[in-house]
Amino acid sequence: MTSHYMKVKDMPDSNLGEERHVMTAPAPTEAVAKVRRLSDNQPTTFTARIKDNLQYIRGRGSLEISVILILVILGFAIASLANPSGFPFLSPNNLSGVISQNIPVLAILGIGTGILMIAGEFDLSLGAAIGFTAIAFIRISEAFGWGWGLIAGVGSGIVIALINGLIVIITKIPSFIATLGMGFFWTGASIFVNGTSPALLRKSKDDVLVALFAGDYGLFRSQFVWMIIVGILAWFFLHRHKLGNHIFAVGGNANAAKAISINPNKVKLMSFAIFGACVGFAAILISVRTSAMQPGSTADYTLIAVAAAVVGGTSLLGGRGAIIGMIVGAALIRIIENGLILAKAPGFYIQLFVGLIIVVAAIFNKLMEGKAS
Amino acid sequence: MTTATKTDDYLLRVEGITKKYGANTVLDKVSFDIGKSEVVGLLGDNGAGKSTLVKIMSGVVPMTSGKYSWDGKLQEHVNREVTEELGIETIFQDSALVPQMSISRNIFMGREITNRFGLMKVKKMDEIATRILDTVVTIEGIKSSKQLVASLSGGQAQAVAIARAVHFKRSLLILDEPTSALAVRATEALLNYLRQLKSEGVSSVLVTHNLHHAFEVCDRHIVMNHGEKILDVRREDTSVEELTAAVVEGAEGVRRFREGRPL
Repeated sequence: MTSHYMKVKDMPDSNLGEERHVMTAPAPTEAVAKVRRLSDNQPTTFTARIKDNLQYIRGRGSLEISVILILVILGFAIASLANPSGFPFLSPNNLSGVISQNIPVLAILGIGTGILMIAGEFDLSLGAAIGFTAIAFIRISEAFGWGWGLIAGVGSGIVIALINGLIVIITKIPSFIATLGMGFFWTGASIFVNGTSPALLRKSKDDVLVALFAGDYGLFRSQFVWMIIVGILAWFFLHRHKLGNHIFAVGGNANAAKAISINPNKVKLMSFAIFGACVGFAAILISVRTSAMQPGSTADYTLIAVAAAVVGGTSLLGGRGAIIGMIVGAALIRIIENGLILAKAPGFYIQLFVGLIIVVAAIFNKLMEGKAS
Repeated sequence: MTTATKTDDYLLRVEGITKKYGANTVLDKVSFDIGKSEVVGLLGDNGAGKSTLVKIMSGVVPMTSGKYSWDGKLQEHVNREVTEELGIETIFQDSALVPQMSISRNIFMGREITNRFGLMKVKKMDEIATRILDTVVTIEGIKSSKQLVASLSGGQAQAVAIARAVHFKRSLLILDEPTSALAVRATEALLNYLRQLKSEGVSSVLVTHNLHHAFEVCDRHIVMNHGEKILDVRREDTSVEELTAAVVEGAEGVRRFREGRPL
């Protein structure tokens, strides 16, 4: 088979030496030996392979952001060592509060949002869905025990997201506007189901539930472990499972996926369902920690979850992103927020800086995409 | 099965294919065969119905009425799953591959090598992809099968799409305007490659409005005009001039050309 093909460049009578991409007709076999084969060009040494893999991660935009996160943590750590009382970043209280409480919830939301964004869709009803699923979790837990509550929380998250997804797929209206509208709907629905007073998690909140979802183990809390579990599962699903590969394919080029008989609608619905499960689970983590959920109080989560995904290198156009980036994005936002609070910056500084990070990250992503094509 | 059908004659036969969008008839009773190892040019101006025909052949769009037979067997419901099973692969212009994914992931897109849990054997896929790029098509300038498709030129990407189809032993390749985005030399290479496919027993349909490209490589030419087939002629029985007349002026152009009247 090989003998029929060769590069024009290597043909003795060819003057097309500079041609870059050529498939050629049969040619004299004696020239074949000169053809450089791709398999001879693969990295063989350990460092070369690492370099090769770093290149690949870089292509997904999560290497740079990880470096920035490490620099920020180093900077904060040094500031904290220099002035432990003025900037108590390294105090166990702060570490367990930020790393183990704020980051995991946002990271799980960021993973759900990021996977959906890779599939090429958004769900701006996230904040409202957290409210609704948290109320479902709390009320079912209070009525039937928290085992049923967990099922109700994650289940209602999936159902809400699937309804949103079906609207987007059937009507073909942009998910931006469909889910923006549905966000208002789900906020209204939570008030309809619950009334305006907060739903309270009281008699069903036993030690086991707390140990599972909000346990404080000194250096870390339960939420941190859940972030790692969700992160690993999501990584295997998105980057190693064939269905994850289909999500990238559909988000990157739905027509190419369709031509190879991947059904884009099925893949998008599946992404909505995964998103819903993440939202439901994050809502459970939030409710167990705070023991209460006031309808309409969770709208802020929507855009910060999108921000975590974007900061972590997820493309706004779909088709590009990585689980590690989404977690790093969430961590970066929460740690900078924490640093500003510790430095006693006025409240608006936090919004100002978080806003700035998001825009810079989006510009950076855009530059990366331009470079890739 | 009807006894009159000679199964070894053709690969794909469509008879009386009609496609209507509401009251608008885009294809009107179109019939033709695609022979085994045959390169067929599907020609026509914009709006002639080529794209719709391609979508029906590849099962993306259902036909309003008509018969579709493959290798002597009548196919009742033609959808993408059926055509995938038959071995038809359509390479759409600019959209054959996913630019944000690596070459290897593109080659195995939808046909991933997995263990029984559906987890991909990434290393194995990379290795096979590398081998495909070494043996099936030689494409200069590709460094690794892990390279993103976005970093390839139009010609390289087309070549990867063709390599994928050959590797998965597709029997009919439909190429939708493959040369329109290519540089001159990349086009030459692509046309050469189509001749190669033929010798490997793969049939192909080249959809184009570039008559010179089609004439260079196709065994037979089908010309469409306003949703109707107006010409179906073997390469040796026609000329670029006749094809031009057919594409530009329609059925009247063919009559005019054959009677030797000037325009």
